[in-house]
Amino acid sequence: MENLLYTALFAPLVGSIFAGVLGGRSKMMIAGLVPSILLLVSLAASLVLLGHVLSTGTAVAVTMFDWINIGNFNVAFGFQVDQVTAVMICVVTVVSAMVHIYSIGYMDHDKGFNRFFSYLSLFVFSMMFLVMSDNFLGLFVGWEGVGVCSYLLVGFWYHKRSASWAANEAFIMNRVADLGMLLGIALIYWQLGTVKYDEVFANVDKLDMTVLLWITGLLFVGAMGKSAQFPLHTWLADAMEGPTPVSALIHAATMVTAGVYLVVRANELYAPVPEVGYFIACLGAFVAMFAASMALVNRDMKRIIAYSTLSQLGYMFVAAGLGAYWVALFHLMTHAFFKALLFLGAGNVMHAMHDELDPFKMGGLRKAMKGTFILMTLASVALAGIWPLAGFFSKDLILEVAFVEHHFILYTVLLLTAGLTAFYSFRLVALIFHGEERYKLFGIHPHEAYRFMLIAMSPLAILAVIAGFGFKGDYFAMVTQMLPATEYHVHSPVVYWTMVFGTQIFVGLAIAYAYIKYVKVKAFDPAIESNFFYKLLINQYYIPALYEKFITVPYAKLSRFAWKQIDQRIVDAIVDLIATSIYKLGEVSKRMHTGNLSTMLRLMTLGFVIVLVIALALQMMAK
Amino acid sequence: MEPVKFDLVALNLNTIMPMLITLGGALFILIIDLFKKLDKQFYVTVSMATMLLAIYAIFQINSAGRGFFDVMLVDGVAVISQLIILGASVLFMPLALTGFRFREFKFAEYFAFFLFMIAGFQFMVSTDNLILIFLGLETGSLALYALIAMHNRQKSLESALKYFTMGAFAAGLFAFGSMIFYGITGSVEIGQMKTVIEGNNFSNMPLILLGTAFMIAALGFKLSIVPFHTWTPDVYEGASAPLAGYMSIVPKIAGFVVALRFFDFLAMADDGVVQTLLWIAAVATMTIGNILALVQDGVKRMLAYSSVSHAGFVMTAILMGTTQAHVGMFLYWTLFLFTNLGAFAMLWISRHPSKQFDIRYDHPFTKFSGMVKINPVAAVMMAIFMLSLAGIPPFAVYWGKLYLIGAAINSDHLYLALIMAINSAIAVYYYLKLVVFMFLKDPSQNDGTIYNMNGTFPLRLVLIVAAVFVIASIATIEPLSAFIQTHVVASGF
Repeated sequence: MENLLYTALFAPLVGSIFAGVLGGRSKMMIAGLVPSILLLVSLAASLVLLGHVLSTGTAVAVTMFDWINIGNFNVAFGFQVDQVTAVMICVVTVVSAMVHIYSIGYMDHDKGFNRFFSYLSLFVFSMMFLVMSDNFLGLFVGWEGVGVCSYLLVGFWYHKRSASWAANEAFIMNRVADLGMLLGIALIYWQLGTVKYDEVFANVDKLDMTVLLWITGLLFVGAMGKSAQFPLHTWLADAMEGPTPVSALIHAATMVTAGVYLVVRANELYAPVPEVGYFIACLGAFVAMFAASMALVNRDMKRIIAYSTLSQLGYMFVAAGLGAYWVALFHLMTHAFFKALLFLGAGNVMHAMHDELDPFKMGGLRKAMKGTFILMTLASVALAGIWPLAGFFSKDLILEVAFVEHHFILYTVLLLTAGLTAFYSFRLVALIFHGEERYKLFGIHPHEAYRFMLIAMSPLAILAVIAGFGFKGDYFAMVTQMLPATEYHVHSPVVYWTMVFGTQIFVGLAIAYAYIKYVKVKAFDPAIESNFFYKLLINQYYIPALYEKFITVPYAKLSRFAWKQIDQRIVDAIVDLIATSIYKLGEVSKRMHTGNLSTMLRLMTLGFVIVLVIALALQMMAK
Repeated sequence: MEPVKFDLVALNLNTIMPMLITLGGALFILIIDLFKKLDKQFYVTVSMATMLLAIYAIFQINSAGRGFFDVMLVDGVAVISQLIILGASVLFMPLALTGFRFREFKFAEYFAFFLFMIAGFQFMVSTDNLILIFLGLETGSLALYALIAMHNRQKSLESALKYFTMGAFAAGLFAFGSMIFYGITGSVEIGQMKTVIEGNNFSNMPLILLGTAFMIAALGFKLSIVPFHTWTPDVYEGASAPLAGYMSIVPKIAGFVVALRFFDFLAMADDGVVQTLLWIAAVATMTIGNILALVQDGVKRMLAYSSVSHAGFVMTAILMGTTQAHVGMFLYWTLFLFTNLGAFAMLWISRHPSKQFDIRYDHPFTKFSGMVKINPVAAVMMAIFMLSLAGIPPFAVYWGKLYLIGAAINSDHLYLALIMAINSAIAVYYYLKLVVFMFLKDPSQNDGTIYNMNGTFPLRLVLIVAAVFVIASIATIEPLSAFIQTHVVASGF
């Protein structure tokens, strides 16, 4: 089992190094194939590990070597695969493997083909490291690795100004949040003297309530950054500058889920402080609605999907915040499948439309792209939460959690958001695949993607369909061995069925409305642009503008001030002054050395006298 | 009064054997010269053989102790310093086998003087008798003045004369200092003085301090301690490059040993006056030496001032007074020996007997512009010596600096350690200045041979030995410091 663990963890790293060695060369098919095959190996190993955990109920743990031994600060390089990790690694490897295979087709014509696969595999490795580590410090290493890789991949087309800007934004915003995370870990170590999960969780009751509040708060700040929760959410939509497979990876497997994972992993820290949990839930519900509203009007296909991820992450945090960790993790899993599918489908559309992202310029693509049409519709249905697809099971559960826990406001918000989700998902589907073929005006001839790309997407499609009803039972049995096994039942059957059917009908109506409104659309209607709500939403509630005005610009001014006034005028000046005065001192004392013998002899005598005077003076002082 | 007994065993002739060998070699050269004028190769060979034999004799002294009516004191310190003196001399001697003919090497006297000088310094370090120290010091110095003058340039003569005059003055100071201490204690042996002075608990402090001031001035002159250092740049510039390098090492280690013997117990006095004096002197020396080296245009003058700074650096070992410091002192000097002699030899190898590179200097910085493009091997070699002098790891002097600064910290001289570190940082500037000239500027001439026109196989061999030692010093630190440690501890420092 240990070797399997190492295989699952390090196969992506080997793939990354392999492709990285070829990084400087022009496209080589092998640089894409080897990492993909290695990732399939990693996937196989992960599945065996999952099977092991499922059947035996015991975790696989290894200690690779001592990592840090400073004084009494000891951290080992340790990894473990328990129930939660097993779910995570399977999700990560399934999605990543499919994205890798898909990318061979998607990046076919790109100059940076080899480099792309190197980054992509490294991204996966970082995420695997993150979820497999058995301590907070290892988690942090993976956390940072994920940050670096996202920077590399979002800015993959670094020659585009917007891409490098977005890469920086993602990186810097995550860095801000990571500080919180690091402080949280430091606080854990300071209080408990260890960063290992088991030891930390075993000693939670020793912690002071205030301290625990701080720890959980700070860790959640880290999670907010990675999972793009308000107010650190702006990077996620801008990160769409990266190649589309990267978006699939970030949104489904390797990045934004890390925040949810952290909260689930540290559930034993969060359990004693329900107030933090409640805050997380409220923030999650807010983000769910907030992001969904922005998705309603956006005219950028990828951004719409990105906002949808944001919104779904909000759902997950509601579940996690309310203590339903297994539900959060379940939604994380189902969401990963259909969101990856949605993104890869969007990638196909983009290729077909020559990188056009505005759905108002598409329409009627279902004829040209039948496979993509079916897959994306499937993913959208799953996202909307229609029975019996995966989204229904996980999302409905979250609604039930909110209801059963008597958080009716949260419930209402989430219910409304479910409607919004269905609406914007099918607005997108209607605009892209139905109605008139508006793209003809732009002289585009769409074509379906390579067959193997569609085949790579199909496992995800199957999972998006069956993950709900197929896995729920086993999943619940397994993860509740370590997560709180609270089942959320609405006691009255009448209420329960009303809720289920009500939700389904509501969602169905939203879909129908989206179809009716957008199937017949001829072009974008500029009249709406003057609408106040439209302006608010399309400008993302003016949040990026506010950040620009109140954070970026003042900070840049401050930096400029520190550079011009403090560094150059004061620090540099002092350094230069020291240097020049030492130099001048040299010039002055050079005059002492005239080479004149009489002067030299006099100087010697003077020196003797000085020594004597100092000696006697010191002697006086000593007395 | 008892008659003086002549017991050959009690004389312990072993203790004096190394000096006898060097003196014998010198006399042999003079006698041969009476009968037949021989080539310099012969004299070099004889001198080398003599010195190697003397080294062998040093290793034969297995019972450290006193000899020759207790005038000689061959302890561990004496052994190490003699080894350093002879080792430097062995490295120096082949540098006489130059490609060009230089006038001084024509005379057999040059080699005889050289051996006399070594014998003088050997005596100086192997006794604690102030009279014998004085004799050794003057023997060595007088021979050295002559060696400088024999380079036969106007500058050499001038600097030899200056050195001689000031040396005479310093000798006077030494004599006065000795006199005062003799007056206080009734002895000329440092060991006895220590017993007496400590016995009456430093009661004559003002007188002791007067004597100490004389001694500081006298030894300060030899060690080029500020403000008694003014001769250094002129004399180094006047002397031939290898002799200048030699002077920056050998007379100074002899001076250090005397200073160590003399000031060790004074510096450890409770009131700390002498310690403070030495502190001020050491700090002033390393700092002023450094800032003067900063503004030099000639490489040789820069090296001269920088060796003043190095001397100040090593002076600190005496005031710290711990075993670690004393070990550091000898270790530093051994490492410095190879590096500095290598650097000066690099200048020597580019020397022409009559032509000067520019009106003012033989070796201005500009001479080395772009050296890497026209003579890469020599440039890299020079750069290694410079980096070592600057104390950049892993080259030789770095370890010495590390050891001494470590000793300063361990003996609670934190400010001193800080000043030493800052000075090391300043020193990097002027050493790297030469590296910058060699590697980053455009060549000032096309002819790369100018940098080794004086070169012959023996010169290159010396350079290679020095360079290899500097580069591989990391491997020698362990055994070297262990060897020094045993000897220093054995002699009670």
